[in-house]
Amino acid sequence: MEHSATIDTRRSTFQVLIRRFGLPRLIIAGFLLLLFIMAPFVGANLTVQILNVINRFSWNAVLVLALVPMIHSGCGLNFGVPLGIVAGLLGGTLSIELGFEGVPSFIMAIVLATPFALLLGTGYGALLNKIKGGEMMITTYVGLSAISFMCMMWLLLPYSSPTMVYGLSGSGLRPTISVEGFYDQVLAGFLEIPVTADQSIPTGTLLFFALLAFLMWAFLHTKTGTAMTAVGSNPSFARASGINVDRMRLLSVIMSTWLAAIGILVYQQGFGFIQLYTAPNNLTLPTVAAILIGGASINKASIPNVIIGTILFQGIVTMTPTVLNSMIHMDMSEVIRIIVSNGMILYALTRKTEGLR
Amino acid sequence: MKSKRILLYRLAMILVLVVVAAVMLVIGRGHTVYFDNVSLEYEGTTYETPYKVVVYTGGEEVAKLYDGERGMATCIGQNLDLTLEITQEKGGEEELVSVSVPLPYNMDGIIINLSAYLEGLPEEAYLTEFVPAVVPSTEEDEEVVTGDDMMMGDF
Amino acid sequence: MKTKHSFQSKVGQLVRDNSVPIMFILICAVCIPLSGFSPSYLLNEIVTRMGRNTFLILCLIIPIIAGLGLNFAMTLGAMAGEIALILVSDWQIWGIPGVVLAMIISIPISILLGLLCGKILNRAKGREMITSYFISFFMNGVYQLVVLYMMGPIIPIVHDSIKLPRGYGIRNTVSLLNMRQAVDNLLAINIGGVKIPVLTFLFIAALCLFLIWFRRTKLGQDMRAVGQNMDVARDAGINVDRTRIVSVLISTVVAGFGMILYLQNMGNISTYSSHSQIGMFSIAALLVGGASVEKASIGNAFLGVTLFHLMFIVAPSAGAQVTGDSMTGEYFRVFVSYGVIAIALVMYEAKKRRAKSNASRLLAEAQKQGKEERA
Repeated sequence: MEHSATIDTRRSTFQVLIRRFGLPRLIIAGFLLLLFIMAPFVGANLTVQILNVINRFSWNAVLVLALVPMIHSGCGLNFGVPLGIVAGLLGGTLSIELGFEGVPSFIMAIVLATPFALLLGTGYGALLNKIKGGEMMITTYVGLSAISFMCMMWLLLPYSSPTMVYGLSGSGLRPTISVEGFYDQVLAGFLEIPVTADQSIPTGTLLFFALLAFLMWAFLHTKTGTAMTAVGSNPSFARASGINVDRMRLLSVIMSTWLAAIGILVYQQGFGFIQLYTAPNNLTLPTVAAILIGGASINKASIPNVIIGTILFQGIVTMTPTVLNSMIHMDMSEVIRIIVSNGMILYALTRKTEGLR
Repeated sequence: MKSKRILLYRLAMILVLVVVAAVMLVIGRGHTVYFDNVSLEYEGTTYETPYKVVVYTGGEEVAKLYDGERGMATCIGQNLDLTLEITQEKGGEEELVSVSVPLPYNMDGIIINLSAYLEGLPEEAYLTEFVPAVVPSTEEDEEVVTGDDMMMGDF
Repeated sequence: MKTKHSFQSKVGQLVRDNSVPIMFILICAVCIPLSGFSPSYLLNEIVTRMGRNTFLILCLIIPIIAGLGLNFAMTLGAMAGEIALILVSDWQIWGIPGVVLAMIISIPISILLGLLCGKILNRAKGREMITSYFISFFMNGVYQLVVLYMMGPIIPIVHDSIKLPRGYGIRNTVSLLNMRQAVDNLLAINIGGVKIPVLTFLFIAALCLFLIWFRRTKLGQDMRAVGQNMDVARDAGINVDRTRIVSVLISTVVAGFGMILYLQNMGNISTYSSHSQIGMFSIAALLVGGASVEKASIGNAFLGVTLFHLMFIVAPSAGAQVTGDSMTGEYFRVFVSYGVIAIALVMYEAKKRRAKSNASRLLAEAQKQGKEERA
């Protein structure tokens, strides 16, 4: 490390900045800045756009936060986010099925999701302890298998609440379920600051995220938290200093899974709908890409990475359609999203990471 | 020396592929050909139609045309080989004619006026491009579905 | 006593090594009677699908030999094949010449993409599979950029039948009616109601022969050496990076051909989804045939394509019979496809880890022994 630092001082400050910040991140930040500058010129309302970004940030931030523990413990990027999402979906649908409404339905959703998250997380963690070194590929397929397995289950489980099942057959959950009357905007509505006619700052959601982020930060500074980081950055050193590596990894996976379950519930209360079947799959890539854009690597991630990354990624997702549409009358946002998110993941994968094999 | 030979092999390989591609472009060009058994006026002369023409390509009957009718066949390549069974008058003798009509490369749909062709008129007389009737564009813009729907397709 | 024990352990080993195919045979054995399909229908379907897909599955073998694992980036070749077919279909080249032309056009695109992919994978040694997985997603974005926005204004597309009404971009479906089953129908023979696409199988046989021959060449031997141990291979004077790139390159080109054969059988291109699913299905099929991340043979490909398709055909109707909902069966086969890949990956990683810990234990013991001897 010291050696590379001395080399750095010889380089121009610009190069140092690129190295520290990463070229792709710089490009993405620059691109977003450009979009914001262009927005007023193409007739987009900047206030509306910024509020959009804030709202979408509030939906997604917890999901992105869920990646942090596993990165810290050296399990890499958790492409198995869907497993946690499945636990959250079970919690949410069960809470509605059991007839809870309003604020209690959200609390019950979290309560009901927790045992599933703990159970799935434990199994998932035990599996990942068996295959150290190949986590990312396996997490990907655990996630995909979980989603496709639940696709069958959503059809077969004996749900009966008329707000959720197909009207005709009376069984099988519908792909999109509105949470209006249940936990729609329960967090966002708390201390909400209205700005325009139909838009506001979701203070409650932001506070909720801040709370979780603070807890995560505090946890990472406890003895257990530093031990977890040690496992991720140097497993053999951690083992030598008497840390139970497998236990730390298991703990991180359970935390990740539980946070993902909470994350999807927060997402739903903002978005207003529960999306079942294959839809949860579409959340994996944006989540992973966001934390990487924020400056995380395969074995390093911090809370600022989560915040910056989510803002940058959601910024691009919300801004590109509006700006590009009015500029060149082509909606290229989908293509840009695919290239940016996967490009970011590729960049992280091809970078030489220290401490990881 | 060895690297030179490898380079030579590679160049030869590329050349062969390019040549094959060029050949494919020529022999694979598909056309849709329409036959008209319709009388035609050309440079002041009117060319009358026979009573009946039966069109065969590759041994198969593709059309049986009376006066004023149109038939269709698809064809791959630069020439369309036809066998025509012509009956000039009702109940008259059948007459077999084999012809090979050269087809212009850049036309997808081609109309051939049989009587004009049989009279040996120049190409501009017997051959016209078939342009599909332009329907006023009421077509809704097609929604492009690009989402990966998790392997729900066939294999 | 001893022989019995070793026999048991042998059977146990055999079952462990072939657990995925055995599991699949069991699934099929349960589902076939439930589905109610006649044997002749199933046979016909499987022969058709075997001709359609084996080529695509075989393209995965070479990267496995070179130690790159399952090449999820074979979709790159599929994209090249699709682009070639879109162009050929716009130029109105029909039939067999169209297929041949599309193959030739796909070669340079495949080589370009394969080169890029190989270079990226060389920067991600030790995690090639996950990287190739994301290369396929990333290139899908680039593919959409090309096909959805550049075809029309930059790459000339003449016919409105394949162009979107807005004037640029390709429609969701491109019809290949004029070359539909051109290869399959030429030389096809009919045995007892089962149509056998002889020419397609000849293509596949040629590829198999190529693979067998290739393994014996100097390059093939180098690849195997690189696959076994990169450091040892480098010390032996093999250009490791180049060898790996070549293996990806061959795989991509073959995948391009395979995609063209696949699509001429299907008769139309689903412009934005055909390729994204092909990689997953092919990999699942190869694994079902008993291949692993580090070892795959031609036999695995044939067994895999048969078993996988058997499951693929019978699962939806068997599911409908059991649950009364045809969607359940369809989700089931998706779940099984993903699950098979997951299980194969877990088994591979667990085995690798066991071998590693064994080696380190042996090393530790040897060191200990050495110390004792010195003392």
